[in-house]
Amino acid sequence: MSDKSVVVERRGWIGEALAAFVVPALLAAGVVAVLLRIDPHWEPAAQAAGVCRELIAGSNEGRQALLGSCWVAPLPSLFYLPFAWLLPEPLAGWVVFFGGWFFLLWSVNEGCRSTGASWWRVVLAQVAVSAIALLSGGAVRQLVPVLAGGLLVLAASGLADWSAERRLRDLVMTGSAAALLLLTGLPFFGVAVLTVLALPLAACGHRETRVRFSAWMLLVGLPIVYAFWVWLLMNRLVLGDLLFFLRSLVHVTDALWKLAGALIVPGVVLALVLPLVWWLESRKGGEPGAGRSAGTLVLLGTALMVLMSERLLGGCGISWEVAALGLGLPLLLVVAVTRLNQPCYQLIVMLVLLSLVCRIDSSSSEGGESRAADSAVICSQVEEFVDGATPYGRVFVLGYSGIELLRGYSGERLVPNLDLHIDGVREAYKGQNLYVLVPEPVGKARTESVFWRYPDIYTHGYERLLYAGAFGSWHLFEIITAPTQEQVDEWRRSS
Amino acid sequence: MREDSAEVLAERIREVDPLELAKKRPEWSASQPVTRGQKMSGAVILLLIIVALVISPLKTLQVMVAGCILFYIVLTLYKFIVIRASVCKSATYNFSPEEIAAQEPREWPIFTVLVPMYKEPEVVKQMVNGLREMDYPPECKDVQILLEEDDELTLEAARKLEMPPGFKIVEIPESFPRTKPKACNIGLALAKGEYLVIYDAEDLPEKDQLKKAVMAFEASPDNVACIQSKLNYYNPRQNILTRWFTAEYSTWYDLQLPGLSALRALIPLGGTSNHFKVPILRDLMGWDAYNVTEDCDLGVRLVRAGYTTRMLETTTWEEACSDFRLWIRQRTRWQKGYIQTWFVHMRSPWQLSRELGFINSLHYHLLIGGGPFATLINPIFWGLAITWFIFKPDQVATLFPGPIFAAGAVCLFLGNFVFIYVNLLGCCKRKRDDLMWLSLITPIYWAMMSYSGWRALLQFFKDPFLWEKTQHGLMGKK
Repeated sequence: MSDKSVVVERRGWIGEALAAFVVPALLAAGVVAVLLRIDPHWEPAAQAAGVCRELIAGSNEGRQALLGSCWVAPLPSLFYLPFAWLLPEPLAGWVVFFGGWFFLLWSVNEGCRSTGASWWRVVLAQVAVSAIALLSGGAVRQLVPVLAGGLLVLAASGLADWSAERRLRDLVMTGSAAALLLLTGLPFFGVAVLTVLALPLAACGHRETRVRFSAWMLLVGLPIVYAFWVWLLMNRLVLGDLLFFLRSLVHVTDALWKLAGALIVPGVVLALVLPLVWWLESRKGGEPGAGRSAGTLVLLGTALMVLMSERLLGGCGISWEVAALGLGLPLLLVVAVTRLNQPCYQLIVMLVLLSLVCRIDSSSSEGGESRAADSAVICSQVEEFVDGATPYGRVFVLGYSGIELLRGYSGERLVPNLDLHIDGVREAYKGQNLYVLVPEPVGKARTESVFWRYPDIYTHGYERLLYAGAFGSWHLFEIITAPTQEQVDEWRRSS
Repeated sequence: MREDSAEVLAERIREVDPLELAKKRPEWSASQPVTRGQKMSGAVILLLIIVALVISPLKTLQVMVAGCILFYIVLTLYKFIVIRASVCKSATYNFSPEEIAAQEPREWPIFTVLVPMYKEPEVVKQMVNGLREMDYPPECKDVQILLEEDDELTLEAARKLEMPPGFKIVEIPESFPRTKPKACNIGLALAKGEYLVIYDAEDLPEKDQLKKAVMAFEASPDNVACIQSKLNYYNPRQNILTRWFTAEYSTWYDLQLPGLSALRALIPLGGTSNHFKVPILRDLMGWDAYNVTEDCDLGVRLVRAGYTTRMLETTTWEEACSDFRLWIRQRTRWQKGYIQTWFVHMRSPWQLSRELGFINSLHYHLLIGGGPFATLINPIFWGLAITWFIFKPDQVATLFPGPIFAAGAVCLFLGNFVFIYVNLLGCCKRKRDDLMWLSLITPIYWAMMSYSGWRALLQFFKDPFLWEKTQHGLMGKK
């Protein structure tokens, strides 16, 4: 219970403030400034911004968008929501990214401090992490990998500290961080669950702690089980289908078993690491806990697990998502190196080497993210087209891509719609000329529920959908409605 | 210490005024539960709400819902911060047996032990034996068994026993209000010790607790006026109620109060096993005889007077109430006492916030006012949530527009989970692993707390001084 506080006291409040708040804030501001300099129109979370817009408007689409897909998980949108409420776009996006990066660097401090790392070591690690991201050409420009990176560090360092010293707080840290990681998106499902499973197993090397296995399991596992249960429940309540957010898995991946395997197989690393932890603990004897070398071993094992997840998931046809894991490996390596408490020059050399060697590949991570300016052009073109055809037009812009497209749109002609129920909208908008704007099913857009309801809608339309034109990569279709009796009578009279 | 003859003692008791606080500092006493100013303020607020409801009912309700949700968010964050602080090394004073042994030989100060009892003849013997066996020099113990004059059965049981040296029976004259703090005030006036502790009749303190308390006082700064020991139950497995109760106590005494101690915050004292410096307690005129949670009130007054309380790593084992009706009565008293305390200290809010400081004022409002308030509004929001889940009426949805819905959902799913999880943590820290699974259904226990919360609110206005006494010895009876 005590040693962490002792470390904090030894650091002094100035060192603590520097490592935990001041330097992370300065570095986060620096990263945001550099990324804005590279691309002044950069938007770190366009999709989350769109979801938040709908949530603030209180629309059903917003609720569905928040919960209805394992690819667009709720945590980033929830993190964004208060900022979207308080600040205008695009400022909100930048502030959110600043917050995310601050959290990431703060988590580096949390991950290192239990080993007694002095504040300047942590600061060096934070600088290294920022450098890796920027030297990779600003590859980490999206909110999701940044948030997930911070959570990954917390979960992994919690597991490492637990293996080393068996403190209750580490267990809570691992459980909570893993639960939030689960809510960050599908690529993190496997790592989160495996980390949680590893924790009580790590305690099996000591007789005193082994008997409390069920208590550890309950404490560390409950947050993740609960998070998943809430997600399921909300899908049942909001969307009427318990598994709605997982349905796209069947349609997106080549084979579901391959995806499941890719999520679980990295657990092999644990099968290798845990016996080593038990062996270290048996050698140490005395108090529970396997010591600091076991902690380092666990951190490196988790890093390897992340690397395996990245490679295996990449082979499942969801490469646009896997890039989110990319930051995990260098992050965990930096934390592991900093925790070793080696001499100053060694640490600097190792961090510089890591900064030069580690590159975050996010070449395919952009999937579907569109610029606000391009979105505005498409919206105005579609609006113009529809206005030219009819004064009573209504365009349903489909999917999460649609929510993202409309994030800066203030008119009434275009409305977001996540999964098109053609009969339903015809009934709801009687007497209006209805259109559907369909995104191109590439990258993350392939996971949209509309594509597993109407697989060929983009290329061939659907019953009563008539192709009307292309706007950028979007296709516009008109919904053909049967005339009402009054319209038929009117036409008869006029003819 | 046996020099007090019965007559001398009776004479001294007659000289004591147990209601000194209420007479000399009425503004600090619950003798008047709600002042005229508070009644006026309450009436004005109520009137404003009614007017707003008439003018714009939906907007008013939305604002009230938003206010409650903000309160829930703050309360959840607060809980998180306090529990996080509980892991600090400075959260509790901890002395190993070796450190205690290393103190010898030394002179220990006289320690006064007050044991207020009422109609508990069956536990007198156990209590006397327990205190006799405590690891503290007998000549330094000043034990007062405080018995009501009309409690013939307990008096008889006590008189039959041969009292060890330093033990005496103090008969409390019959007068209004008939409360434990009134008896304790008499005990305080007669105290010979440098330090003083209160134990309930059925308490089983750890044997070295008094020595640990002395060491804690000696290791602490001068402004530490009270050292609170941890409390827990020795009968958790009696039934489901005692299991929940034990889980709750484990969380409160092993996580929440150490967290407050680490934050150097105001601590609402527990009913027993709080060790005081006698001169400071006398300066503060002891306990408020009209307050039904006099311990909580004293915790606040200590901070207002510039003192503080710390936690001690030692446990006093008590008997958890195992009867539903008695538990409701006990919990009603506790919640009524918190309401009383909040109203007493809110008579001059500005002076209170000046004396407590900003941070301690927040602690005060969230702990003393926030706790009962949460139990009062919980059933309303649970009802709304269940209604929405089952029937999905539009009226409920309109109360939660946009961001309020999101914040409400966070409170419902995250807030409730945090409170359950903290309970699990408490059990785990206390190594009560068998209670953890049952803690998952703690919301049923919360519903019981809400029932007693409403009962407490009504009783606060109807019968503020009614002392619904906790009945001990149920375990033995069963």
